[in-house]
Amino acid sequence: MSKRTSEAAKARIAAQREALRKQDQRRRVTMIATIAVVVVVAAAFVVWSVRQGASEKVTGGLAAVTVQEDGTVVMAQPGVTTPVVDVYEDFQCPACKQFEETSGATLKNLAAEGKAKVAYHVITIFTQEPTKSNSLRAASAARCITDGRQWVAFHDKLYKNQPSETSSGFSVDQLISWGKEAGVTSSGFDDCVRKQGNVQAHQTYTQQVMSTQKLGGTPTIKINGKELDSTTAFVPSALRDAVINAAKS
Amino acid sequence: MVQLASGAQVSGRLPSAKPALPWVTTAARVVLAAVLIVAGALKIGAPALSVQAVRAYQLLPESLAQVVGYGLPVVEIIAGLLLLVGLFTRVAAGVGGVLMVAFVIGIGSAWARGLRIDCGCFGGDGTLAAGQDPNYFWELVRDIGLLACAAWIVVKPVSRLSLDSALGFGGTREPVDEDGPDEGRDDRD
Repeated sequence: MSKRTSEAAKARIAAQREALRKQDQRRRVTMIATIAVVVVVAAAFVVWSVRQGASEKVTGGLAAVTVQEDGTVVMAQPGVTTPVVDVYEDFQCPACKQFEETSGATLKNLAAEGKAKVAYHVITIFTQEPTKSNSLRAASAARCITDGRQWVAFHDKLYKNQPSETSSGFSVDQLISWGKEAGVTSSGFDDCVRKQGNVQAHQTYTQQVMSTQKLGGTPTIKINGKELDSTTAFVPSALRDAVINAAKS
Repeated sequence: MVQLASGAQVSGRLPSAKPALPWVTTAARVVLAAVLIVAGALKIGAPALSVQAVRAYQLLPESLAQVVGYGLPVVEIIAGLLLLVGLFTRVAAGVGGVLMVAFVIGIGSAWARGLRIDCGCFGGDGTLAAGQDPNYFWELVRDIGLLACAAWIVVKPVSRLSLDSALGFGGTREPVDEDGPDEGRDDRD
């Protein structure tokens, strides 16, 4: 009798152990599966986010670019007048550089596809040194260029070489050599950059833009006069959609 | 709380007498989770802005700024979601706490260096709108408060309404005998 009891007890203990072991195993499997799910979800977020940030490549050539009297630069296929995409930017502003890197190609492509008329408005928003002088020197130099394509190439070059906000940069010598690299051929370019003779005109233009456009900062992107959210402007696919939709309405 | 002299004895019998504590952890989880999820969600859709906001601190080299700009919103959302449902609670809270320490360092250093930036915590590119002033003090207060939530959860990870207890993770019933984060809760029996 007592022997049977103890045997039954042993069996019960063994069964309990086995059950515990099984439970442990199940838990381990559940944990691994859960971790796998979390990893997959995280990877999906990363992939989606990277897509949101992906820039277009400039595929074809540029649309026709004209430098207007007041310094506004317009890029559009002949006859394309709408939708108008206005870009208000400062060569020294880091967020403008980021916008250019992220969405610049999208604007060039849209213009080349005849789907938008892009207008660049270069202004100076900085009021303190060294950023103010950097910005003025660069903008003044850009105004020395009358050929649209050269202007765009110079514009891109300036962003690529944007100095830090804490150091003096965009020196006259640099600006001249970047102009050459951008294909500027006019003989008066060196002199024009060196004299910085366009600073006054640029400042007048800045003041006029600031007072009429009520800008909160740079870059500001407007489609047909309506300011774009930065979460649209800095997401190339969203920017493209916004322009396409504006064309429909 | 009253008798400090016999404090040791009192705290020795506390476990059975504090059913409210797991709810405190639940509340801390929800607060930290909500902020992390909102902060991540506002940034993840526009990673170029997020990268720019990281650059605005002028602390990290370019390659790291890219990684943080893209990675941070994902980490925030995942840690937030885990905290919300109470899954891997302690690890998620640990991650949240590390993030808060990093934010406090970043904002504090921006303040100390006299930068004029927006923290970029909830989107944006880190630049202040025209006429806006930095808000470092309240940003720091907020992040230190959230750090306290995270620390509480790490210390007391057992909470109500959590998947950890539903799935038997975290050793509320039986301690995991390897190196699980059970923190000796088993010495109750």
